[in-house]
Amino acid sequence: MNLYENIIKNNNHTETPSPYVPVMGTVERVTRVTEHERLFVIAPSNKELLNYCPGQFYMVGLPGYGEAPISITSGPGQEKEFEFCIRAVGNVTNALHRLRKGDTVFIRGPFGTGFNLEEMKGKDILFVAGGIGIVPMRSLIKAVLNDTKSYGRLSLIYGSRNPDDILYKEEFEEWKAKGLDMRLTVDKPHPTWKGNVGVVTTLIPKIEVDPARTIGVIIGPPVMYKFVILSFRDKKITDDKIFVSLERRMKCGVGKCGHCQINSSYVCQEGPVYRLKDLHSLPEAI
Amino acid sequence: MADKLLKKENLGKLIESVLGKGGRFIAPSTDARQVVFKAVAKAEDLASDYILARNSYKEFLFPQTEVVAEFTVGKDGVDLRGTDVNPKDTVIFGSRPCEAASLSALRAVFTWDFIDEFYTKREDKTVVLTVACTKGDEACFCTTVGLSPETKDGSDVYLKETESGDYIIEAVTDKGKAFVEKHAAVFEDGSATAKPLFIPAKIEGIDLDKIKERLAKTENYADPVWGELTKKCIGCGACTFVCPTCHCFDITDEGTAFEGERRKNWDSCQYENFTLHASGHNPRDFQHKRWRNRFMCKFNYYPNKFSSKGCVGCGRCIRVCPVRLDITEVMEAMSK
Repeated sequence: MNLYENIIKNNNHTETPSPYVPVMGTVERVTRVTEHERLFVIAPSNKELLNYCPGQFYMVGLPGYGEAPISITSGPGQEKEFEFCIRAVGNVTNALHRLRKGDTVFIRGPFGTGFNLEEMKGKDILFVAGGIGIVPMRSLIKAVLNDTKSYGRLSLIYGSRNPDDILYKEEFEEWKAKGLDMRLTVDKPHPTWKGNVGVVTTLIPKIEVDPARTIGVIIGPPVMYKFVILSFRDKKITDDKIFVSLERRMKCGVGKCGHCQINSSYVCQEGPVYRLKDLHSLPEAI
Repeated sequence: MADKLLKKENLGKLIESVLGKGGRFIAPSTDARQVVFKAVAKAEDLASDYILARNSYKEFLFPQTEVVAEFTVGKDGVDLRGTDVNPKDTVIFGSRPCEAASLSALRAVFTWDFIDEFYTKREDKTVVLTVACTKGDEACFCTTVGLSPETKDGSDVYLKETESGDYIIEAVTDKGKAFVEKHAAVFEDGSATAKPLFIPAKIEGIDLDKIKERLAKTENYADPVWGELTKKCIGCGACTFVCPTCHCFDITDEGTAFEGERRKNWDSCQYENFTLHASGHNPRDFQHKRWRNRFMCKFNYYPNKFSSKGCVGCGRCIRVCPVRLDITEVMEAMSK
């Protein structure tokens, strides 16, 4: 539970008078990852922003364009810079895609709950990511793979639309070498694709699961959750051992503006990472 | 004990005294043939015959639009300046008891985790002078939500009109006492008889506990009755803008990529864009879901999360609704 205490401490920015004023960040590197996504390495002017947990997010913006909520994708413990993988889909994210090395961005955060790594220790973890759900998942995977001794079996099921959309391909060998059992699937294969075809739930029955010692983590597009949850239930993983990260439109990041609300819960503060059991009282969630 | 009185002929002096000390005086005043809360400079500007101002005075604590930061991007880099909030002393005169009770709801959301000083600093500098209701209309339903014209929650000074048009004043809070002392020259000792208050009848068939109980059950969430009750809603959002407890806002950058400002603007959960993701997915994809959200915010989420009033029964949303969607009719249906 120490992790949550840290988050709460992080959120009390007493030294920052206004929660709406961003910190400036310098773009150090931009890498084109796929047709739609770019990876940005950013150095914030205030190093306190680097004190984040996997699962948290930042409001990343550009002067004159506004902000968008973006999950952290680098592993924790960074000292100089952090990474965001951004899909060009809206006004702000398309503008961000035009940035080059040396440009300035506005950043506020980190916001929200992170994954509770302490609770995952000693357990098998089954990560299920769909689409750009792999972006926040990578931060968690990196944290876990840095300390594999502390965890049990680690498995990742990652589904993409087609082989070109798969993110972080170049890191997969390293992840496997560190002990991650990786299973990929695509909806629309190319003629050269030799892997699985179909939605992520087609792979879940193939994973051996000991429900007493398994934690499930789901991050993906909204439509994916309920199907993966059903598959997890087939595997007898109980809802108190399943964690999900939810996506919502966000504006303030500090639990005031109302945009991200799921029933009584402010996703920007009480989420985006939820224990599935806690969502039983929030019917709007999934 | 003698009462403390504010004579009607001294109202102008009170305004002068407030303005003279650098403050602003907000009161119901006629504008485009409607009575609205606005800044006034003399007693003649005050509306004398009104039930409730058309707008809520929340806009003087939480403006429709306000700058929270400014930026300039030049050759030498980016200059970013957060806005300091230095609000003027503000007097709200002619609040009704229902609306005064809404301030604790606004304060709760602006302070529950991060502190939003744009709100708190303004509220700290605001003194609410409530004039108890001597008349009302069929939209008033404060007694149905557990308030009444006798409620003093949120009022710093509570005033009752007398037959001769003067006011009997009662300082309720320390802030109210300090206000009365500060402007002592304007008030007089005396005795007078207050006009009888207008107490709206409690709407039979509405039971807040039953509403809460029903809303708390997740199996009722997808009840088709929501679609039936609210299908005439056109999603204009007027109810949320006049509501004294609605507080949702947007943050946008205005100007160019080189020079501009970041603003907080009122927003409404009744709009489709409010929850629309850039991907096109919308968690509240139909109007009845947005209406349900507002209703549940008032009668379930807010009371449970902040234990403060989500709805104060002022009836403004009923008066402005262009399709006559009456929240009390939904409350009645939800009491079953």
